[in-house]
Amino acid sequence: MRPSFFHHLHPPTIPATQARWRYTLGAGGTAIFLVLILGVTGILELFYYNPTPAQAALSVQTITYLVPFGGFIRNVHYWAAQFLLIVSAIHLLRVVFTAAYSSPRRFNYLLGVCLFVLVILLDFTGYVLRWDVDICYPLLTGTNLLKTVPVVGNFLYRIAVGGGEACSTGLLRFYIWHIFGLTITAIILTVWHAFRVRRDGGIAVPPPQLRKDITRISRNELVRREVLAMFLVGIALIILSMLIPAPIAAAMTEKSILGEARAPWFFLWIQQMLKWGNPFLFGVLIPFGMLVLVALLPYMFPRPAAGDIGQWFPKSNRLAQIVIGVIAVIVLVLTLLTFIS
Amino acid sequence: MKKTLTLASGSLLLALVFSWWWTSRQPSPVELIPTLTGQPEYCLTCHADVPDISPSHPNNTFGCVSCHGGERLALNADLAHSTMRGGANPSDLSVAGISCGGSNCHSGSEADDRNHIQRVMTSVQSTYAGAIANIRFSFGAQPDLIPRFGTNAVTDEQTQTGITSLSAFKPLSESNPFIQKFGENCLTCHVNAVRGDGKANERQTGCAACHATAKHTLSTAIPYTQCNACHNRGNYDLRTMTFIERTDHPTNRLQDYYQPIAQFTKCEYTLDCVDCHTRDEAMGDGDLHANQKDIQYIQCKTCHGTPTELPLTKTIADPNDIVFRLAMLNPVLELKMGDTVLVTEKGEPLWNTRVVSDGTYEMIGKVTRQQFAFRPVMGSHCTQSGKDQSSAYCHECHSVER
Repeated sequence: MRPSFFHHLHPPTIPATQARWRYTLGAGGTAIFLVLILGVTGILELFYYNPTPAQAALSVQTITYLVPFGGFIRNVHYWAAQFLLIVSAIHLLRVVFTAAYSSPRRFNYLLGVCLFVLVILLDFTGYVLRWDVDICYPLLTGTNLLKTVPVVGNFLYRIAVGGGEACSTGLLRFYIWHIFGLTITAIILTVWHAFRVRRDGGIAVPPPQLRKDITRISRNELVRREVLAMFLVGIALIILSMLIPAPIAAAMTEKSILGEARAPWFFLWIQQMLKWGNPFLFGVLIPFGMLVLVALLPYMFPRPAAGDIGQWFPKSNRLAQIVIGVIAVIVLVLTLLTFIS
Repeated sequence: MKKTLTLASGSLLLALVFSWWWTSRQPSPVELIPTLTGQPEYCLTCHADVPDISPSHPNNTFGCVSCHGGERLALNADLAHSTMRGGANPSDLSVAGISCGGSNCHSGSEADDRNHIQRVMTSVQSTYAGAIANIRFSFGAQPDLIPRFGTNAVTDEQTQTGITSLSAFKPLSESNPFIQKFGENCLTCHVNAVRGDGKANERQTGCAACHATAKHTLSTAIPYTQCNACHNRGNYDLRTMTFIERTDHPTNRLQDYYQPIAQFTKCEYTLDCVDCHTRDEAMGDGDLHANQKDIQYIQCKTCHGTPTELPLTKTIADPNDIVFRLAMLNPVLELKMGDTVLVTEKGEPLWNTRVVSDGTYEMIGKVTRQQFAFRPVMGSHCTQSGKDQSSAYCHECHSVER
């Protein structure tokens, strides 16, 4: 078969062991597919979305209820965004649990962590663009946390929100961050991240002399597997989008801007910590510290043994596994606590 | 692998077709752009058969949202209804200022006679000021009968009565248990108050308490049964400060409705309450009053006069006279320039009456549209002293036997 453009994006062959579902979990490829879905559905939403405080929520209602297939497109955009966050987290965990970040992939790991942060910010700004009563309280909390940062807090707040109050005038800024600032950065980093996978020698594997299985699969087979993953994720997105609509609430008015006081699900763990007191400590320092810890994993601990790279839970990077595992459990438990309390 | 791929692509195609079908079976939006707001709303998608609430409020002009609030673009019931004003009743006095108000609607100036909401807010129907003052006075909580409290706090800076404000009555702040119980059991019948439980309390709040004569209907033709929803639904027992709901279902107006000791003339049980009682009496005149007696002033003599005086009348000379607006809202008779109607001592026109050429009078029932002819007392056999002309004296001779 004559390779197509899409085949050429892949290396001619890759190691069979590391091309298995149970190794990659399909997370990185699925993330790329979700980014494409988000791009297409996001562009369609742009035709109707109106980024002015008075019209934003109404235009979201227009998209949801009045534009033909608008509600479906919006639901797909929403679910793809939630999936992307989950899939990115799974991808990050997989890379650490298989010691795949090991040199020469340390820089690409950093790019990946940056992308993970961008996905979180994109999810939050996308959530904010609803501009209805339910987003205001989390938005106020989130942006006010910036003010608690010593010395540069007010400066950061002005960068994020602009001159006025978060829930009254900040919309255009969040819109521009969501559509341009964060998205363009994410696209550039995604391309760079994918390019670096190839440049760093393809998917992480032990050196040839240490491999137990040296069989390889062709890019045709790889593309087939990717397409299968896309189909399955596509089906999941379509079914979820039909059954569970994306959240929506009443438009803000002068009299009512505050709806439910609950953060979007991916920030619930921070909301839970904020109940304990000092907003700078629990809302900024600890989450940021955890992020720095995750980013520095490849630099903090001894280099994993060459033969361990590309294997699940190898002994030589146990410490890194424990650190990211503990962080993941903390975030999960804190999130669950918000449902109990 | 190829089989799996074929199966997966088939499933994806199926899911897409299914989603197409799913989306296409949603109700197609029905748009209404009310001329008053110019903003599209989609309430008719589900509420297609809602009739105009009144001839003065056609759906095509007002739409739904200008009165009811709500999310005008949402087709999901929960979201669409989430911001409705006053639940199903936008005329509840907590929101009537927004729903029914506005300078071109019912929060207009007193001079234009469009200050309905201010009048209702300050009326005894809403404040219950007289009863609260009487009970507090009787149980020693205040030294006189001057009202200090209403069911809600209200002020009237331009009052003619000397009462400029009422504080919100808080029964639990009272030390006397009877006053507390009064607050608990006896404040549920006024238009500003949340209605009590039970069938006898079945009524709406706010403007709708009187004007909603049927489901999604606003009318100035208010039948006596509407008034009875508050005014004839049981008795208060002052010894226990409880309300004893009547359990019977009255059918005969004269025999069943009214208190056994009360006296009635024929017109009082034949006409509807609104045929005689005026807007100022029912809705208030814009001032805070000490009790019901201070605002309710229609007597038999208002229409019939006394042995020495004819009732007051007014010949309509101004095309902008309020009688035309009132008659237009409930067109039971066709008033013309030059017609002479009866007026009250305060100058309120009884616009459903007319002086007939032979010197007698006619009244058209605002609800029944029935025509009633009546004569003045002057020139009759009545020998009642001119000083004693309140209705109680008329009842001595003219009440009906039950």
